[in-house]
Amino acid sequence: MVELFSNLALGFQVALSPINLLLCLIGALVGTLVGVLPGVGTVATVAMLLPITFGLPPVGALIMLAGIYYGAQYGGSTTSILINIPGEATSVVTTLDGFQMAKQGRAGPALAIAAIGSFFAGCVATVLIAMLGAPLTQLAQKFGPAEYFSLMVLGLIFAVVLAKGSLLKAIAMIVMGLLLSMVGSDVITGASRMAFDIPELADGLGFATVAMGVFGFAEIIRNLDAGADIDRELVQQKITGLMPTKQDLIESAPAILRGTMLGSILGILPGGGAVIASFAAYTFEKKIARDPSRFGRGAIEGVAAPESANNAAAQTSFIPLLTLGIPPNAVMALMVGAMTLHGIVPGPQVMQKQPELVWGMIASMWIGNLMLLVINLPLVGIWVRLLRVPYRLMFPAIVIFCAIGIYSINNSPLDVVLAGAFGLLGYWLIKHDFEPAPLLLGMVLGPLMEENLRRALLISRGDASVFFTRPLSAGLMAAAALLLVLAVLPSLRKKRREVFGESEN
Amino acid sequence: MNFLHRLLAVTHLAFIGILVLLAYPAAADEYPSRPITVIVPFAAGGPTDVVARIVTASMAQTLGQKMLIENIVGAGGTTAATRAARAANDGYTLIVGHMGTHAAAVPLYSRLPYDPQTDFAPISPLAGTPIMILARKDFPAKDLQEFIAYVKANTEKLNAAHAGVGSVSHASGELLNSVLGIRPTGVPFNGTGPAMDALVSGQVDYMCDQIVNAVPPVRSGTIKAYAVATPARNAALPQVPTTTEAGLPSFQVQAWNGIFAPKGTPPAVIATLNAAAAKALGDEAVRNRLLDLGSVIPPPAERTPEALATLVKSEIARWTPVLTQLH
Amino acid sequence: MADTVGRLPEQTRRAARNGSGALAVLLLALAPQLVHVLWAAVSPLYRVPIGNPAQIAVDYATALGTALPAWLGATFGTVPSPPLPSAVLLALIYCYPLIALALLTLMVRPRGPQDYYGGIVLIAIAGLALWASSDLEGMQGFSVGAGTVPRLCGVLLMGLGAGIVAVGLFSEGPALARYAWRGPLFVSLAILGFALAIRPLGLVISAFASFMVAALGTPETRWRETTVVGIALTAGCSLLFPYALGLPLPLLPRFLLP
Repeated sequence: MVELFSNLALGFQVALSPINLLLCLIGALVGTLVGVLPGVGTVATVAMLLPITFGLPPVGALIMLAGIYYGAQYGGSTTSILINIPGEATSVVTTLDGFQMAKQGRAGPALAIAAIGSFFAGCVATVLIAMLGAPLTQLAQKFGPAEYFSLMVLGLIFAVVLAKGSLLKAIAMIVMGLLLSMVGSDVITGASRMAFDIPELADGLGFATVAMGVFGFAEIIRNLDAGADIDRELVQQKITGLMPTKQDLIESAPAILRGTMLGSILGILPGGGAVIASFAAYTFEKKIARDPSRFGRGAIEGVAAPESANNAAAQTSFIPLLTLGIPPNAVMALMVGAMTLHGIVPGPQVMQKQPELVWGMIASMWIGNLMLLVINLPLVGIWVRLLRVPYRLMFPAIVIFCAIGIYSINNSPLDVVLAGAFGLLGYWLIKHDFEPAPLLLGMVLGPLMEENLRRALLISRGDASVFFTRPLSAGLMAAAALLLVLAVLPSLRKKRREVFGESEN
Repeated sequence: MNFLHRLLAVTHLAFIGILVLLAYPAAADEYPSRPITVIVPFAAGGPTDVVARIVTASMAQTLGQKMLIENIVGAGGTTAATRAARAANDGYTLIVGHMGTHAAAVPLYSRLPYDPQTDFAPISPLAGTPIMILARKDFPAKDLQEFIAYVKANTEKLNAAHAGVGSVSHASGELLNSVLGIRPTGVPFNGTGPAMDALVSGQVDYMCDQIVNAVPPVRSGTIKAYAVATPARNAALPQVPTTTEAGLPSFQVQAWNGIFAPKGTPPAVIATLNAAAAKALGDEAVRNRLLDLGSVIPPPAERTPEALATLVKSEIARWTPVLTQLH
Repeated sequence: MADTVGRLPEQTRRAARNGSGALAVLLLALAPQLVHVLWAAVSPLYRVPIGNPAQIAVDYATALGTALPAWLGATFGTVPSPPLPSAVLLALIYCYPLIALALLTLMVRPRGPQDYYGGIVLIAIAGLALWASSDLEGMQGFSVGAGTVPRLCGVLLMGLGAGIVAVGLFSEGPALARYAWRGPLFVSLAILGFALAIRPLGLVISAFASFMVAALGTPETRWRETTVVGIALTAGCSLLFPYALGLPLPLLPRFLLP
């Protein structure tokens, strides 16, 4: 404990130096910008800014890059809430209730609670990294392909639970997402799948391309429908308070706490950890809520929980990097690159040999989160004022921002065209009452699920019982089964009521 | 009317004149007169990218022009190589090709849109990264000889990880398997990170990978390193013997990198670039940074376009049989 | 595919419901072939000719006609036959089921058209995926092949689509929603235009042009105001993306650069 305090003291000493404070602020600002701009991804930006950090001292470079990473998590919720466009896979669920809140004139409280939740989660996760880095790594090491597969199954069940309407349609959307995720090269065999010999499809459909399409462009097109303008006028008149009320805070506090817990644990898992965390937090809130029907209609817990979870996960995903030297996701891989360029070999030795680097970074995370809260709360007012911009000017602007963002990911015009096609598909989905969120979750989790299924079966030589004999995997499978029963039961009960009662619609 | 016509013509001429003036300085000055784009076919921060950045930073000083790195990822680096092969051959677009894009891709991609030997003008080999034989930490073999005996005896039970079809770890792993004459179950991962993670947690038994990725877990003792597949030991992990010392001299492999221009680039330009690259590789500061990473720097005699051309040719000949039998 | 479907309800509204519904499904059944032929017809314009459109059309028509006997021959024939060509597989996996659904549509009056047609399109997507993954390897001993999971998902989606069709057929549900044409058309044009223009013309021209085209998507647009905002926004983007974020976007047309 004493050691922890002396380490943290060292960290703060490093992080509070004027130059590092400035770099932290720059990182947080750039990250917010990246998160807010639809389509512009964290990976692309960190990659672009990597060369700039060459001239900086290593601690400063890492502090700035880390700032971009978690700054983007704060910013990502902004577009989800304001214009129903998730910038990152982790903020897809935030659209469900966040955008509904905005439609009810409560964009301010939604944005504020997202920032507050993220801040709380960031603080807790920073302490966790400092205190429990090593034991949490042990837990992550227990995850093999079988466990990942089971976790992904659980994740897809979350997607079923968060569906508002027909269960059948929600499952169909998940399966369609899985199919979309299989376009491109197969990781296991290298075979080209469903790519129709189009070179741009060889690496598959990008998440941003599909998300911009089915959420962003589709929402714009739908808003241009005759009659939709009346709704929009209403939104602009309805805007009430900017900050959450006392009631809002009381309702969200437990959700933030639970989201932070889930996010901190799932964040350590490489790959889909952060995405699953946000969905898990949402599903959990919906399941334990006294009135689950509020979810999807502007429940503030539906914003607070996933936003806390994804920020907590973003922070704890540093743990494998710091304790093992193994990057758990693409942004972390770039951070490793930044370290090697500075001649630092990441891993546990860094903690011993260069404690000022590790603890400086950990301390800067807390400072960065504080800065982000200070940056984001006043920004709420500006964002909400943006909603008052007439839609006739707003929508062409969103179109070009999205188009530039998508183009900038791979410098590929075809990606832009594909996003447009997915926009038309999304418009059609809306018209036929299909929900796009399960589709996106299927698309994000699909590759992880399939790869790990196949990997697990390769390692077990085709014996499928591994999913049920390895204790962690069996536990996850049991949780998935339980959740599925919980998800199906109410809808069956509803069906019975519909059959026996008089028709309501 | 006549006047209007003349006015239009004059305006046109003026416009064209401005365009020509804008274009002129570039053509008139000596090469290089503007920044040079260097395409790196992998993500920023990866082994190839790091080597490219260190070397081009020094080359840029010699040439007196900026060298901009553009990372184009996709399809095992072949997307970037395709784009470079079709770029203007004026010496302002170069590519850092490597073992994958300019050799292993030939047998792996049936419809490769470029020919590594004829579509590029080689400039110079850059630093290469040695390959290591790695295993999980409780693997029951204390040295390479025991490792060989064990994998030969237990091929059926073993899982060999690699970082995805077409990756350096895949190609070199297949080479090791073919040298040893074994066919274990290959377990592909999506990149080096996840593969290394699986090795550290003991989900898989062994793999081959580049030394930069292996240094952190080997130093902390979470995985075992049996040998490094280069003629000399490596300063980054000096305790690990070479394959020659440990008794497997036929397994020699490194993830080499080389800088190329599109074919048809003027020989004078190639010569300028080659001189700059050779000078960079001889620079003390550059060498120290590369050696820190565990890289192997080609000796002065091998820093020539001819040496790179020979390397590409011999590497294609070497990988084709190893990787073709997989299909 | 989505735009083919987009036209579906308007047709259904105008003519006798089932006839036009069946026609729309039939159009969907032949959509891949039509797209291929059309693309073959316009591809020479982009200097990437992919074959004679007439020949492709004839090939598809033959495949549609002969698919069933070819399949029966391959399955039950005594002589081992070569694998079925792709066009025949497309007819068998994708077109025939949808043509059957078109016939069904002609005869029934779905009680929940929204679900009924939604389900049909899901079946079409599933069929297309099954066809596209039909050339991939299945199980290889104990290892799951590249084609196994896509085909599994394809079958699953087809089943779910059929379930949704059944729901739409037998239980009361909402009618088809109205589709607008103006918004989708101009927003799509703006996106397409941006994609085509960004490389040759640079960010300044393509961003401004697509802003103006997108603005055509609503009758509310006031041109003077839109032009001013468009110019301001283009200027903002030209500073923001290449400079603040350092993204390598070309600003000006290629021919203006030295």
